[in-house]
Amino acid sequence: MNKKGIGLKIGTVCFLFITLWFLQKLLVPKYVTAIVEGSLIEEYYHEKTDHDVIFIGDCEVYENISPITLWEEYGITSFIRGGAQQLIWQSYYLLEETLKYEKPKVVVFNVLAMKYDEPQKEAYNRLNLDGMKLSKEKIKAVKASMMDDENLIEYIFPLLRYHSRWSELTSEDFKYLFKKDKISHNGYYMRVDVEPVKSIPKGRKLSNYQFGERSYYYLDRMVELCKENDIDLVLMKAPSIYPYWYDEWDEQMREYANKHDLMYINFLDLIDEIGIDYNVDTYDAGLHLNLYGAEKMAVYFGDILRKTYGLEDRRGDEEIKKVWDEKVEFYYSMKEKQLRELEEYGYLKSLGVEKRE
Amino acid sequence: MKRFFILSMVLLLLLAACSKGGNTSGDAAGDMPVDGTKGNSQDIQEGQNPADSQENQEVDQEKGYEFVFNGVTIAMHSKMEPILEKLGEPMEYFEAESCALPGMEKIYTYSGFEILTYEKEGVDYVLSVVILDDSVSTKEGIYLYSDLDSLIEKYGDDYTKELNTYKYESGQSQLVFLVEDDEITSIEYLATMEQ
Repeated sequence: MNKKGIGLKIGTVCFLFITLWFLQKLLVPKYVTAIVEGSLIEEYYHEKTDHDVIFIGDCEVYENISPITLWEEYGITSFIRGGAQQLIWQSYYLLEETLKYEKPKVVVFNVLAMKYDEPQKEAYNRLNLDGMKLSKEKIKAVKASMMDDENLIEYIFPLLRYHSRWSELTSEDFKYLFKKDKISHNGYYMRVDVEPVKSIPKGRKLSNYQFGERSYYYLDRMVELCKENDIDLVLMKAPSIYPYWYDEWDEQMREYANKHDLMYINFLDLIDEIGIDYNVDTYDAGLHLNLYGAEKMAVYFGDILRKTYGLEDRRGDEEIKKVWDEKVEFYYSMKEKQLRELEEYGYLKSLGVEKRE
Repeated sequence: MKRFFILSMVLLLLLAACSKGGNTSGDAAGDMPVDGTKGNSQDIQEGQNPADSQENQEVDQEKGYEFVFNGVTIAMHSKMEPILEKLGEPMEYFEAESCALPGMEKIYTYSGFEILTYEKEGVDYVLSVVILDDSVSTKEGIYLYSDLDSLIEKYGDDYTKELNTYKYESGQSQLVFLVEDDEITSIEYLATMEQ
């Protein structure tokens, strides 16, 4: 074979790979103007400095605590590696992966996920796993999370899953093909709208209140991983009033925390102390806090973290301050933008939020 | 060389054609909304008893189990709107957006029972009916606090049991009873959802 022939073959192979790469980029959902929660996990990789505190867990972490307030009030640097209905094994592997990049002083895990002892839904798996960089932790997380009809290969090469999206492509897919807008504030999903709590559903009777073995297995591993890395693990239950948090579940977490010498805080018991007013501090009738509620939570929780774990005020570090100044600016510009939108449209149009009747 | 190029193109086409089709947008619209207690109360093992009681055989296998209140029949997966029109204003109403994904969970509370709905393409359907007190009963006449013998007498022994939960299935519905100390302490109709 002559040199020209070899060159053509190499060229064809390169063309093939570039085409596949391009198609994958195009067809994978962008999560910028709708279901923005799908962008949260990958935003961690853009971080330039390390963090004192890493939060892991479901929507009860990424919608209820403002890392910018933790910074502004206490000089605590933090990041929320949360995802919608993040299952405990996903939290565990995300933590394992995070520790490859940095060693935080404190890790906070929201315990609502303990109630799920098995994979629940592909869409939620995707929101939590697609954003992870390819790594052995991602593969382990996918294996632990897959529903019966899912395949590992479709997570490694998402093109195989999304190839038929070509008929659903929107302008968003082209606009954010190579570069996406930043959505979160160190993993925090901002919402300034208000939807007060009108009623609180009662918890339905369960046949079994015991958390599953699998949930405990990963919680044990989380405890072990933090211990090995000299990290303080904190268990929290966010002050979300729905889904219902049963007393029997709370008791199990208290016992577990006592047994393993961990701090466990059920913020549902501290609503008045935090100052949360469910008439103004939630945007969806009590499931999640809005910006005002998340700031109150950060002020309260930050004080506990600072005092208990001796977290230093890092606002004096010029390099870190420079990075966080940018974050603070972005935070307030988004807050202003959302308030303007609310005034103009009555709802948050840019987040793909539907207008409430 | 041509063959190599053609092979590459075929590979590309194969990639585009292979793997599963269906919904790929990641929103999984039409799937079950995220329910606060799913995965805890209803994870029940398969049972072994094939025999049906007379009452159970009378249940319309297409519609499955139905709850009837003041002449209004509520079947699982029924559209909620006409039911709401017949039942009138609920005593309490709660709604919550599904976490991240489109759709709204709604709970309508009436005297003695509540109805939970799921949303599909903008329309609400019945997901579940939960009996709250002994002022109402199942269509077959089982109340909260009835005993286990009455339950078996009415519904037969074609149930699946895990811990203290007895589950009957019919069509696209389940009827789930929680029995504690020989007494029924929870009755719930559930729409069977595809995974």
